[in-house]
Formats: sequence, structure tokens, C-alpha cells
Amino acid sequence: MKTAQRLLSDALIQAKVIEAIGKIFCDREPHAQELLTQALESETDELARDILGDIIDNAALAREERLPLCQDTGLLVVFARLGVDVHLERCLRDTLEQAAAIAWQKYYMRDSIAPDPLRGQLGVYENIRSEIGARLPIVLHLEQVPGDGLSLDLALKGGGAENMSALRMFNPSANTDEIVEFVVDTVVNAGGRPCPPVIVGMGIGGDFELSAILAKRALFTDADERGACNRGLEQDILQRINERGRGVMGLAGRCTALEVRILTAPCHIASLPVAVNLDCHAHRHIRVEI
Amino acid sequence: MKVRKLSLPFSSKLISSLLPGDKILLNGSLYTARDRAHTRLVELMRAGHTSPIPLDEGALFYCGPSPVPPGRICGAIGPTTSARMDSFTPFLLENGLKVMIGKGDRSKEVCNAIRKHGAVYLVATGGISALLSRCVVSRETFLWPELGAEAVYRYVVQDFPCYVAIV
Repeated sequence: MKTAQRLLSDALIQAKVIEAIGKIFCDREPHAQELLTQALESETDELARDILGDIIDNAALAREERLPLCQDTGLLVVFARLGVDVHLERCLRDTLEQAAAIAWQKYYMRDSIAPDPLRGQLGVYENIRSEIGARLPIVLHLEQVPGDGLSLDLALKGGGAENMSALRMFNPSANTDEIVEFVVDTVVNAGGRPCPPVIVGMGIGGDFELSAILAKRALFTDADERGACNRGLEQDILQRINERGRGVMGLAGRCTALEVRILTAPCHIASLPVAVNLDCHAHRHIRVEI
Repeated sequence: MKVRKLSLPFSSKLISSLLPGDKILLNGSLYTARDRAHTRLVELMRAGHTSPIPLDEGALFYCGPSPVPPGRICGAIGPTTSARMDSFTPFLLENGLKVMIGKGDRSKEVCNAIRKHGAVYLVATGGISALLSRCVVSRETFLWPELGAEAVYRYVVQDFPCYVAIV
């Protein structure tokens, strides 16, 4: 039996992605903006209020003047769900990389890519740069789903928050307190480096790399998508992070984290991987459905 | 919260009057330098050259700006994580550096060196680039343009908001 395939043109996908990047480079995701406004309303510390006020005002100005929220315009991270009944003109990665390259130029975003991660210490820096040329690498997670749609979760992920990520392989006999302590310490010890108030993504279970992918993926989810099963744990961790009092930009106030978002997966009986991935307050995330 | 309008360069007397938590509206020249500019600068100075950046006059700003859109003075600016520069900082402080601007904690060694040499570490808020870019009066590429975002740019700023962190 032959199933009809829906053709999604390269031009259409690129146009949607360029438009979406054009929204998030200068504006944070609305729910995060709401959480920041609530944080300001409940904050009593003068220094923290001053900084939160600037963080909120900056988004309004950036949106109005089409300026980047942050000079670190990030790395493009994409979680794609591609329907099995979709026909593409070429590989999705090629389409997305080209769209990113166009968006980066169009919106005057920063080239933050070091083609050689060892920065020339092996003497190959120039070679690698010329091989990559104008291509802007992206981080793509591609999953096949039923249907004829394409859903793209896009984020511009800054380096400062990403650097404060952590992953630990716990013993399966570890109790929840140990896991909570690990996450709370990761966020609190990061101080001002990840630009708090942060959003905390957590991946529990899977294997080594799946836990990390879940932690990143969690940053894209809303409460409905995550469901109620981990809500108590999320609230508990959030409270314990904020009780430790690092505060806004690691300087002052009661708000170090805006939200904790947990995704879980089954794992091997010998393992209990736990990964933490942080996002800065800029939280440049968007979903595109095509 | 005490708010002070101050101009670079900072005298020793002025630095000794600063208190952690003070808000400063800064005027003067900021020289951007992040990971790769620090590596080059320190290599050059260790080889016996004088610093091409006037360390005692301006402030070192840990920042990698975004490109300048047409019709604007500058692109987006803002602090990057200072701790990545910690391994270079004591040497620069010994050689005249007085004012640094970044974000996040510094190592114990850097804190001690800041106090020993009568310098100050200021923090700016990350992720408020649109607001900070309004404070820029002029911008020039100062050194090593081939480093792109990691080159040294000189920004003259007016009322640039930051806070005293370590003094």
C-alpha cells in the first residue's frame, strides 16, 4: 500500500526557521518573562530588584529595536520531530544549517563557533576553519514520529550556562536526597556564571548520553508536556536551590532559579544517570510547527 | 544601595573608597579581552613587550561583542564568565591592571591579588545587551581583528551600569 507523502520544501522550512530565530534572538520565551516579572514582584533585596528590573527592561528594548538580548547569541540547538509521511528535498541538517547561516547574517548575530575545539593546539586550526567555510554547525536531535508534520524546537543556547552543566552516574541504590543535593550544589556553586535566575533542566535515567539529552530537552518543555509525576520533586529542588541564597547574577536576592524541569527515562538495572543542563535568564526558545 | 558616577582611570584613593555592592555608573574606555586575547596578551608580555592595552588607564572588559548592525555605534555587548580568565589575572595585576569587568566569582588567588595590588573587580549584568549598548559613545577595533568576537575592541562608555564585587 502506498501512502501519500507531504512535500515540505527546503524554502518553506528555511523561511520558518529564519523567522523563528528572528523572534528569539531579541526576545525571551514569554513564560520565562512572566516568571521574571513574578520574581521582581516578590523580591525585597534592593540590588536584586535593580538587576531584575534591567533584565526585564532589556527584553522590551531588545524586542523594539531588534537588538540581541545578549552578545552571546548562542549555538542553535534543534529538537526535530519529523513525521514519517513527510518528504524532504534534502537532509534536514543541511536545510537547518543554511537557515542558521542566513539568520546569523541577517540579524547580526555573533559567530561563536570555534571550528577546532582545541583552538589550534594541534596545529590544525586554520585547516579546519577553511574546511568548514561559511557553514554554521548546529546541534540537531532528530526523531521520527507518525504523521505528516515537522515540529522544530529551537533554542539559542549561550555558553556561560552550558558550561555549568553536570552529569553523574549514581548507584541505583542512591536515594532521592543524594540526587537533589547534586542538582542543588551544581546550580548554587555555579554562582553568577550561568546568568541566574536560571531554568534548570534535569534528565534522570536512560544511559550516559540520553540523560544529557533529556536534561537539554527538558528546557523546552512546559508543565503539561512533563506531566504531574515529577512535579513534587521539581518544586522541592526549586525551593532548596532558592533557599541557598545565591540570587540574581549570583549577587543578591532570593531567586537563583525560576523553574526546575525534569524528564525521565527507564534505565539499566546497574545504572542511575542524572544530568543537569542550565539555561540563562535569556531563555531563547521557540517551537515551530510546519 | 549607593550609586556612584565614576570616571576611569581610578586612583588608588578612589578604589580604596569602594565597597562591595556599590552600584557604579562608569565613564571612560573599556577594552574587551576574553580567552584568546588574554592568551596573546600574556604571551606578549611574558616575552618582554609592554602591554599594548593601557592596563592602568582603562578597564579590561571580559566581553565578546556581536557584529555592528548598519547605522549603529555598536552591536550587543555584555560580560562573559570572568573565571575563565583567572589563570592570567594575577600576572596582569602585577603589571598594572586596575579595573576588570565581568560576571561571576573569581578564584581565591585572584581575590588576593586584587587586594594586594589595590585593584577592583566589577560585575555587569549578563543578558542585558540592548541596555548596555545604549551606554556606548564610540567603538573601535583596537587589536587583533583576526580574532573576530575575541579581538580587542575599545568602547568609550557613558554611565555604564556595574557593581563592585571584589575590592
